[in-house]
Amino acid sequence: MARVFQVPAGSSRSGARRAAGTPAGPAPAPARASGEQKAGIVAGYLAPHPPHLVYAENPPQNEPRSTGGWEVLRWGYEELRRRLRAHRPDVLVVHAPHWITMVGHHVNCVPNPRGISVEPIFPHLFRYHYDFRTDVQLAEAIVDEGASAGLVTSALREEGVRVDYATIGALHLANPTWDLAVVSLSANNNPYYYSDASLAEMETLGAATRRAIERTGRRAVLLASNSLSHLHWDTEPELPEDMGVERPFTHAQYAGDMELLQTIREGPTSRLRDAVPKHIEATSSETKAGSLTWLLAAMGWPAIAGDVLAYGTVIATGNAVVEWVP
Amino acid sequence: MIPAALVPAMPHLLAGDPAPSWAELATATRTVGDRLRAAGVDTVLLLSTQWFTVLGHQVQCDARLRGRRTDENWYRYDFGHLEHDLAVDTELAHRWADAIDAAGMQARRTLYDGFPVDTGTIVASRLLDPRNQGRWAMVSCNLYADPSAMAAVAGAGVRAARDLGRRLGVVAVSGLSSGLTGRWITPAEDRVEDVHDRWNRKVLDAIRAGDRAEVLAMSPQFGEAAQADSQFRAFAFLDGAGAVDRPGEVLAYGPIWGTGAAVVWWGNQEET
Repeated sequence: MARVFQVPAGSSRSGARRAAGTPAGPAPAPARASGEQKAGIVAGYLAPHPPHLVYAENPPQNEPRSTGGWEVLRWGYEELRRRLRAHRPDVLVVHAPHWITMVGHHVNCVPNPRGISVEPIFPHLFRYHYDFRTDVQLAEAIVDEGASAGLVTSALREEGVRVDYATIGALHLANPTWDLAVVSLSANNNPYYYSDASLAEMETLGAATRRAIERTGRRAVLLASNSLSHLHWDTEPELPEDMGVERPFTHAQYAGDMELLQTIREGPTSRLRDAVPKHIEATSSETKAGSLTWLLAAMGWPAIAGDVLAYGTVIATGNAVVEWVP
Repeated sequence: MIPAALVPAMPHLLAGDPAPSWAELATATRTVGDRLRAAGVDTVLLLSTQWFTVLGHQVQCDARLRGRRTDENWYRYDFGHLEHDLAVDTELAHRWADAIDAAGMQARRTLYDGFPVDTGTIVASRLLDPRNQGRWAMVSCNLYADPSAMAAVAGAGVRAARDLGRRLGVVAVSGLSSGLTGRWITPAEDRVEDVHDRWNRKVLDAIRAGDRAEVLAMSPQFGEAAQADSQFRAFAFLDGAGAVDRPGEVLAYGPIWGTGAAVVWWGNQEET
């Protein structure tokens, strides 16, 4: 019977992996007093959002109860949380593929989004009570910078829009205490017409995000809420967390993910400009929604390697937790 | 003979200041509602491609769906704020789910407070049933399942309704071509691009001719060339209900924000 596929969770050895020829880097720099810390993007994470990971954790905000499951990915997120704390960010900026906007790139500018998010695809797993604080100044700056760069943008100021599970999932898994301000960006694509995001536009949106962060003087951590290979089962077992049936959709999907992750581990990120579209073509990767390209563009495609903290499948999709520290 | 219809999913049909095509499509959808009532339909089997799912086939089992949806894309417009109050025929819904399971597929009974009803379902129900007098049995559109699975799901719904003695109508809420305009436009600017327009008309001509086999045969190509809404699973669903083996009456066709949309009615052949 198939097993959950994985690579080792983050370790000091993997944490030291950097671009070829670059000396192994230290753990994140010790935090300085808040006033002394340099503004800008201090880290970026590939932070996949399967609702199963939230469900498996049984947080108080989520109504369904589980017996666990997908531990290796969740251990990767535990390491992400530890590292994220060390970066002492002011704000988490997340781009998520399930806030689907058909026209343009939207930024949530509601000061205090709150409510219950019953996920229409996975209502048995995800009924999450959310209540968080938006960094409205930064959110508006991203809208402005995006528009100035020629993108169609929109500032969401309506209170009643349900926050999607990809936004909540990445934010919860990265920071379950929700004690950091948030900026949430939509994905400009349309699944029922099978249209993907324009990766060229995601480059522009990423650069706009970086300018907005610098202009507002924030220390920001970016979260790209994407899975990797995205073919998956169209039914599920009686017990959703039955790890006895959890495995990649095909070996080709798994191999496609490993090829991308190897490129990430070797660095530099510029190699991913070609590798990401190739991976999308090979595996129907969810990165077609643009979150990963947005993140790397915002970071300026730094000449570093990424640190793969965990990999595992969720209903056969590939998911990796990855850190980049510029 | 089960009366059936294809109606659009986009909320622009509820605009206070609509483009001419939006108004025509809305009027035609209301006409479908009138005809369903005239046919004495007890319950409408409804598929909305905007309730898209990926695991199994979700059947709505909540008896009453009341609420307000603020659309995540269209919130800046009047038509982006959607009140709804839907009565679900839960007896049929459960029987339908049982029939889906019995057919070897996976039904998922959906009964959750605060469940977000999709924009397409709300728009269609408000136009088809403006006085909230009708009953619905609703299923999701599984984008990972083969379109033929949607036909099997519809067939299960028809069998379930027959077992219960329901007088049934079948409605698929979906668009035709995509080509959604990627910027904020005024209603007067709305149009379907030429290639997609030709595809939509080709499909509608086959529907008018009652050539279901031709429509099914061209659906994959339609999905590819015009990025048809959910690869035109809507037609597969209607076909599975046995509702499109006769000429369809195209009541309206036009653009909605660049996408193609149509209202098609399949009634008794004497009517059409």
